[in-house]
Parts: sequence; C-alpha cells; structure tokens
Amino acid sequence: MNNGGKRRLRENGDRGDDDDDDMEEDGLEAWERTYADERSWEALQEDESGFLRPIDNKAVHHAQYRRRLQSLSATARIQKGLIRFLFVVVDLSKAAAEMDYRPSRMVMIAKQVEAFIREFFDQNPLSQIGLVTIKDGVAHSLTELGGSPESHIKALMGKLECSGDGSLQNALELVQGYLDQIPSYGHREVLILYSALSTCDPGDIMQTIQKCKKSKIRCSVIGLSAEMYICKHLCQETGGSYSIALDEAHLKDLILEHAPPPPAIAEFAVANLIKMGFPQRAAEGSISICSCHKEAKIGEGYICPRCKARVCELPTECRVCGLTLVSSPHLARSYHHLFPIAPFDEVPPSRQFEPHHRLQKTCFGCQQSLRNPSNKFSLYVECPKCKQPFCLDCDIYIHESLHNCPGCESFRPS
Amino acid sequence: MKVQIEDVTVYFPYDNIYPEQYAYMVELKRALDAKGHCLLEMPTGTGKTIALLSLITSYTLSKPQSPVKLIYCTRTVHEMEKTLAELKLLHNYQVKNLGLAARILAIGLSSRKNLCINQRVLAAENRDSVDAACRKLTASWVRSKAAENSNVRTCEFFENYERAASGALLPPGVYTLQDLREFGKQNGWCPYFLSRHMVQFANVVVYNYQYLLDPKVAGIISKEMQKESVVVFDEAHNIDNVCIEALSVSVRRQTLDGASRNLTRMQQEIERFKATDASRLRAEYNRLVEGLALRGDLPASDSWLANPALPDDILKEAVPGNIRRAEHFLHVLHRLVHYLKGRLDTENVEKESPVSFVASVNSHAGIDQKTLKFCYDRLHSLMLTLEITDTDEFLHIQTICDFATLVGTYARGFSIIIEPFDERMPHIPDPVLQLSCHDASLAIKPVIDRFQSVVITSGTLSPIDLYPRLLNFHPVVSRSFTMSLTRDCICPMVLTRGSDQLPVSTKFDMRSDPGVARNYGKLLVEMVSVVPDGIVCFFVSYSYMDDIINHWNQHDILKEIMQHKLVFIETQDVVETTLALDNYRKACDCGRGAVFFSVARGKVAEGIDFDQHYGRLVIMFGVPFQYTLSKILLARLEYLRDTFQIKEGDFLTFDALRQAAQCVGRVIRSKADYGMMIFADKRYSRHDKRSKLPSWILSHLRDAHLNLSTDMALYIAREFLRKMAQPYDKTGGSGGRKTLLSQEDLEKMGDNILQGMVY
Repeated sequence: MNNGGKRRLRENGDRGDDDDDDMEEDGLEAWERTYADERSWEALQEDESGFLRPIDNKAVHHAQYRRRLQSLSATARIQKGLIRFLFVVVDLSKAAAEMDYRPSRMVMIAKQVEAFIREFFDQNPLSQIGLVTIKDGVAHSLTELGGSPESHIKALMGKLECSGDGSLQNALELVQGYLDQIPSYGHREVLILYSALSTCDPGDIMQTIQKCKKSKIRCSVIGLSAEMYICKHLCQETGGSYSIALDEAHLKDLILEHAPPPPAIAEFAVANLIKMGFPQRAAEGSISICSCHKEAKIGEGYICPRCKARVCELPTECRVCGLTLVSSPHLARSYHHLFPIAPFDEVPPSRQFEPHHRLQKTCFGCQQSLRNPSNKFSLYVECPKCKQPFCLDCDIYIHESLHNCPGCESFRPS
Repeated sequence: MKVQIEDVTVYFPYDNIYPEQYAYMVELKRALDAKGHCLLEMPTGTGKTIALLSLITSYTLSKPQSPVKLIYCTRTVHEMEKTLAELKLLHNYQVKNLGLAARILAIGLSSRKNLCINQRVLAAENRDSVDAACRKLTASWVRSKAAENSNVRTCEFFENYERAASGALLPPGVYTLQDLREFGKQNGWCPYFLSRHMVQFANVVVYNYQYLLDPKVAGIISKEMQKESVVVFDEAHNIDNVCIEALSVSVRRQTLDGASRNLTRMQQEIERFKATDASRLRAEYNRLVEGLALRGDLPASDSWLANPALPDDILKEAVPGNIRRAEHFLHVLHRLVHYLKGRLDTENVEKESPVSFVASVNSHAGIDQKTLKFCYDRLHSLMLTLEITDTDEFLHIQTICDFATLVGTYARGFSIIIEPFDERMPHIPDPVLQLSCHDASLAIKPVIDRFQSVVITSGTLSPIDLYPRLLNFHPVVSRSFTMSLTRDCICPMVLTRGSDQLPVSTKFDMRSDPGVARNYGKLLVEMVSVVPDGIVCFFVSYSYMDDIINHWNQHDILKEIMQHKLVFIETQDVVETTLALDNYRKACDCGRGAVFFSVARGKVAEGIDFDQHYGRLVIMFGVPFQYTLSKILLARLEYLRDTFQIKEGDFLTFDALRQAAQCVGRVIRSKADYGMMIFADKRYSRHDKRSKLPSWILSHLRDAHLNLSTDMALYIAREFLRKMAQPYDKTGGSGGRKTLLSQEDLEKMGDNILQGMVY
C-alpha cells in the first residue's frame, strides 16, 4: 500500500501501531522530518471529555464523495462515449522533481498513472491510451495509442527522469496531431498531469487551444500544486475538467475520476455501427505465431475470426486485418455506464428517531450496526427505490464497484 | 429585489444581496435621516457602489416631497464610467418596477478632453491644449468676430447648442460619457457645454473629486448645487491628500521664466490694444472700480478660471486701486516674479509662514497683502480683456497668481518652503518654492458646511476615527464592515525573518544591509516557484527599488527569478509602465507567469487592479513610510500636532499602513477571487503597526501567521493555493453563515444580519 493510503487510514481512526508505522514509512526518524510535511497535531481534536482524538473525517469525505456522485448522476441519462482515445500527458519538467509528495512528484505520478491505466482498461475495455511526456520544453511520444496496459506501464516506468521547463503548447500540438487521425466514432481526450506552474511555449498557446477545440479534443488537467489560469482556460474551452490535488490520496481520486467515460459531445452523439470481432480463445497447447510479438507461442491466445491471426491480449486491433477485437464481457462491462444506479438519499438525523427507523439498526449491505459506539445513529443513506438502509462504506462500494443495489435485486414483486 | 429598510423601500437590481451590503444600506439610511455626514469602510469587491446608488435613489423616490440630489465623486474617469454603468442597470430596474415616475437624469461630467466631439479640437494632445483649442473656437469675442467675418472658424457643435438655447435639454435617463458624446453627435450639440448646463437639473451627477474640492474648478461647476444634496466621495482613503494638493502650489525656475515671457507678451498685447481699441481697457477699469461682481454675467464659455481660495474667503470688495490699470498690474507682477527669482537663488533650505512671507514681499517688492490677494481675479479679468485664447501658454503666470492669492488669503495652515536642491540629489541645483497646505480640512470645509450629507467611503479607512480629526468634521455614523466570505479567500502573512532567521526590515539602519536584500531576494525566488501566474511586489520607494534590483542582479537572484517568471518594472514614465503592465498581463494569460515590481504610492498602487490570476500574491517589501526628512512633511506633522493633537508617529504610521493596505488590497477585487498578502518587514508584527490595518485584513490574519520566516511562509502558501483551487459552493451552503441573501432570507432574518457585520 502506498503512503497516502496509510495516512488516510490513520486519520480515519485506529492509531494503534502508529510509531512503528511511521518509521518504516519514509525511513526517517521523527525529528528528521520537517514540521512542514507532517503536521500531525493538526489531525487531532478534543472531544467532550477533553481527550485528544483524531479528527473524524469520515463524514467530510463522504460528503465530498456524494457531491461528486450527484454531479455525475446529473449527467447519468445522457449518451456516453464508450470508445475513447485518451492521451495521458505526464509532465517531467524539473518541477516534477520536487519532494512535496514522497518520494517525489514524478515517482508518485507514475504510480498513480499505473493504477489509472489498469482501472481505465477495466472500465473502458474498448478504448485505447497513449502516453506523452513533457521534458526540456519539448513533448515526446512515449507510447502510441494502444490497448495493452502492460506495455504502457513498462514504457513509463523506464523513462522516469526529469529536467528543463514544461511546455503545454508542444504537448497539445503533438497530441492534436495524433488524435486528428482517429475515426469519428472515437472520443478524443487528453489528460494532462501538470507539475510545473508555468509553461514556456514557442508560439501562441491560445491558437493551439482553439485548434484542439476545433478537433473536438476534450482536455483535462490535474495540477499538482496550484491553479494556473491557462490550464483553467484550456479546460473551459475544450470542455474538460480542471482540478488540483491536495495530497496523494486526493490525487488518486482525481485521476480515477477520469476512468469512467465522460458524456458524449453533442456533435458526436450520432449512432454509429462499428464492425467488431469476437475472437475465440486458442486451444490449449496449440502452437502458433503471435502477430503482436512476432514469435511462436504455445496456447494462451485469441484467434481473429476474420483472418485467423493470433493475438495475445484483448481488446486490441488485429494486426493483420485491422478488425477491432473484443470479448463480450468487455462490452458488458462498458454497459453499466449507461444505466447507473441512482445516488442514495442521505437520512437526516431528525428522521432517525422515527419509530419506523428505530427498528432497522443494521446496514442492508454488510449487516453491520448503524449505531456508533455511543449508541447514536451515525450518518447513513437509503436507496430511493427499495428504501433499504446502507452504511457509508457500502454506499461507496455499491456505486463504484458493484453497480447493483442489493436491496432492489433481492426485492421480487410478488 | 425589493428590500424594506425602515420606511424606505429599496429597489436593488440583483436577485441576491450580500449581508454586508444590507448593513451598509441601513447605516447609510440612518445617516441620511439624520441629515449628517458619515464614514463607511467596506472592503472592495462587496458591491459598495451599487448599494450606495440603490439606497440613495430609492430614498429620493420614497420621499418625493424633498428630493435629494446625489453628487458622486470618483477619482478616475474609468471609475466614473463604471459607476454610471451600474446606475444605468439600477435605473432600468427601477423604471421597470415603478414606471416612468422613477425616471431620473444622471450624467457624468468630465473635462473637454473626454467629452469633446469636434475632431479639430481633439487633435490636441493634452488636457490643457484641448481646453485652449476649444476656447479658440468658442470664446465670445471669437464668435462675434465670426459673425462679421465668415473666415473665422467656430465650433459647429457649440453654435448649434447656443442656437437651441434653453431648448437644449437632455431627456431623462442615465448618460455615461460615451452616451453623452453619442447624444451630442446625434443632435449636433456640444456635449461638454450641454452637460455643464444640465448639471443644475440632474438628479445624479458623477464627476471627479476636483470639481468639488479644488476651489479653482468648484467655483464654476459646483456652485449651483443645492444644499439638499448627498455628496459621496468614493475610494476616499486619500481624500486628505487630495484636499491638500488642491491648495498647494509649487514654483520652479521654469515657472518663473515662463511667467516672465507671459508678462512680456501681455505687455505687447496691451500696447496693441492701446493703439487700436483703448476703450476696452477703459471699460475694464471701470468695471473693476465697481467691484469684482463680474463673474455672474460672463457667458459660460468664457469662465475658465476661478479663484483658488475658497469662496467664503474672498472679500466682496473692489480691486485695489494700484492694480486697476492693466499696465500697473503688470508692473506688480513683474516685481513679484523678480522677487520670487531672488528668493529661489538661496543656498539654504528656508521655511517661512505666510505672514512673514507677505511682510517680506511688502518690504522688498512693495506689494501689500491685499494686492496679492486680488492677483488671480485681476489676471483673469485682464486675460479676458486682452482676448487671450491660447490659455495653455499662460499656465505659468496663472501659477504665480494662484500662489500670490493663496499667500495673501491664508495666514494659518500653510507654510512656504524653499529648497535649493532635492535632498536625495544634493549636487544638482533644482530650486523649488513650495506653498504647501497642511490642513486638509480647509478645502473640504465648504463642502461639509454646504451639503446636507457627505458620505466618505472606501475599502480602507482604518483607523476610522482619524479621518474626522484630519478633516475636522463630525460624522453621525462611522462604521467598518466585514466581508462575508464562503471561504477564507485572503491569506495575509507577516514575514519577519528571512530564510537564515535574521530579521528583515526596510528600517533606515537596516535597509543597506546586504543580508536583508538577500533575504528579500530569497523570499521572492522561493515564492515564484510555488505561486502560479502573477505576483506583484511593492517597494517603499523608487530609489529603494533600484538599489535592491541592482543587488539582486549582481547576485544572480534576478536570473533565478526569471527562470520561473518574467520580470516587469514600474517606472516613472507612464507610457513605459503601461506597456510593462500590458505585457505583464499577457505573460499571466499565456501561462508563462510574471512578477511586477512596483512602488507604494505610485500610479500602479493607486489605480491598477491585479485581480484573479493577475495577482495571486502580493509582497509588500517594507513599511511604506513617507520620506520623513521632507520639509513639507515635517511642517505638516508639526501643524497636525499643534492644531489637531495628532502625534507625529501616529500620523506617519497611519499613512504608511493605509498605503500598505491599499497596495495589498489590489489583489482581491471580488469574493470569487483569492490571493495572498505578505507583509515582509519585522515592524508589521508590532501591535501599533498591525492594528492600523483595515479590519477585513486583520480578521484573516491569524496569530500563527504573525511571525513567519521564509520557509514557513512558503509552506503556508503551498497549502493555501491548493485549498483555494478546490471547487466550492458559491452561496455559502445551506448551513452556517449565509453570504448571499435572497429577499425571503432578508425578511426572515430581520435585524439579526446587522450584528456580526459591524465591527
């Protein structure tokens, strides 16, 4: 687990084995850390009896989560782009070497991008990603658009060093060049992870932004330190989102927000038929020449239904005949974006004392008690359809992973 | 929305109102009810102007039997246009709700330069030459000549306006300067003279401070305003300085040389007139014998000079006999100029009171006090008689007469200071004779006495109890309002130590210390790497800025800064500075980032906004005290101590801190904005300094931020910027403090809002 996760865990309670934890965390003694990085005393508050307790951030975090959910659900019923072509631009200018994230921004970003790429392909099996880095004022294409998470991750991890200034314009020009060739059913997106606070451009960046807007590229930026006007402008113009990370955990949330497909841009919302192949898995033990690695392999592969070439992974595009190859579970997984479950309603404290509610003391999902140790009801939610109560953890789990409401599923009309 | 404040229904053009706007209106209304003056401090960006306009216009509407006229004074033309635009919005709303009964006439009044529509006149480059060019076409004698000789040029717009005579009226409505010009073009009437004429009938007049405070102008423009007027001075934190400047004159050698030239030319003119038209001179003589009651019956186009002294101080008597004849008057002026030249040749700094100066003029040049006093009016009359139209050529002699009249009129509150050279550059002789006014209350007194309510308002009026003392009046209401914020969007910090933990200050004994300059440099280098887009730095003076930039340049600090952001510097040249500002904005827009070096008390510190990304951080290097060895300042301090019992230290600190507050206030212009302010001087941590900052800054200045070193400030800045970049709820949410009230909220909350908004 990463540092941020650990820190979050501590904020949320159980500070039991705090001390040994800290030691191994950074490999630093407590006195070696500057007060600036870990203001641990700020995470404390006094309770009624004067004891020091960690601040209960759960409600706050949950409120944030809910706000996000609400804003997402507002767009729930609109068409979404399921076939996305996304360029992830990683800023490797010298600002990425800064140590305000441990061990450095660059390493931490790489880690998050890795998680993002996996999550992205999990949610959008039909989409493709490409990687671009910014360094020394120029932009390099690290990997071309492709559907294999492993190759992207390997390429990124191999290239982690930073220097020079960042140039937003160069990166946009490069990406725009690539994305312009994408067929019209694909959604063109750029996600920029920007460490630097300035951009040294060779020309007028405003023109480049207009160019991106014209080619319908949705540009989103995640900043690592502070809000920059030009990034905000870029996102506003192209319909992307702009956010600033507070800490590592927050950055993770922000990046993962880009994993579910965004609403389709109106001009693109024409229905299109796309030719796809559903390859069969090659028989165990059969030996064939793999079209992606150009070498003979045994078993573990898929056969293109049109040209019978062998590919190692799905989804991908057949190297021989260019057919899009997917498996049916991939399609099914993309489906839930179109029909999400409605956000649950928060139960106001006043209603918790109604007799009807007093009966149900447990969460319908995990069967845990909804009362906290002091025997008061903590915050909980209920499904607007089946009216079953759920705890906050189950709420998040149902909406983010399960995509089904257990209450509604178990409810059978008699 | 409609807001009920006691017995007045206020029509407010927006659907929501800030609680502080409501509180502001309540206080203002009480001041109007009491027919007294008031001082109101409310941070910029909270909609002061619209609150003011809404309340006063609605107040008039609700009391039709005693209509109040609103005279709104702004500092710049830009602010004037903004005010009128807001008023237009409000007016449309009121007319929509109340029908035609709510119609008012509101006009802006400005100089010919801003209002003229005659292309030939506008070709002149500065204000004085536009005025002169206009006079060349519109003076009564030019026009009478034109009537005989069709080759003499006149201004067709003015002719049309004159022909329309009393029919030339503006229909009710709100007119910005732009609208006035349009209207003038459409009807072929001169917008300048039309607006001058309409001032008497308008319900709302928006113009510059000078039109009310400077007696030279006020005598012409503002004398017909009725007593039942509400006078508003907006952005009035520097009002005492404006008052003082209106009554101060400085004379340099160039002025005197120019005056001599003017006199020679006038001499020639007199000779010419004697030869051709001696009767004019005789007529003037007769008029002067009868007294100075001449101004009333002059045509509007000819009145362009009024006495620099205040109306009450001008005696209604005849011009003394020794200057009634034109050539005698010229002799007197010759002697005066000669005497002043002699005084300027001094080697030492001299300071004198007006009384002894007048005595010395009398004994050396043989001009007595009464003669001096009449110089200005006599000159005015003479120039009219001589039919001089190129008035911009005669500024020098006007300055001299201005000086003479003020010296002759006032015995107290002034002093005459002669400096043979600038203190800072003792090797370059640059003699200057200054008549400096010390008493701000002199110029504002007629305004305070004459009008029913005078409202002085600004974003920074702290400490609010000092202004009544400086201006010598008794406000019925003086209040300071907070800003209700949904989040803590300003982050003031006091930085007392550099990265090496040594104190930083621009105190006189520390300022030349290279360690301080280095620490300041380090601070900026660190800040440019964490703050995005624009940073503004204010220095205490041009000379200090030059020194420190030199130091930074030698030690490569400047180079380090340039790696992150471009550097722009304010200079004394207006054009250069404007260009620098333009490029600064461009650099902020395109993401390159930029730093602007500026000077407290400079043009930029007073008038330019660095809102949104143009100013995420402002650093005030040092405490911007005035140059304490200046003779004028010393004389003023002495006067303040003797007359108003204001201690020197108190006044200096007050003045320095209001400048500092003005500088840092540049970055936050609205509630949606955010910005940091660093006061980089150890003296700011002292209570006597800090407590004089405006309360809206103080309330955000946490104790933990009072004694920071560079690295701590850096950490706070990082956190603040991250926090501010997060999305937030603009209305302040359902629970807790509400910052945007709808009509329902207002009715529900009643008077509870008031508590908490007022300090």
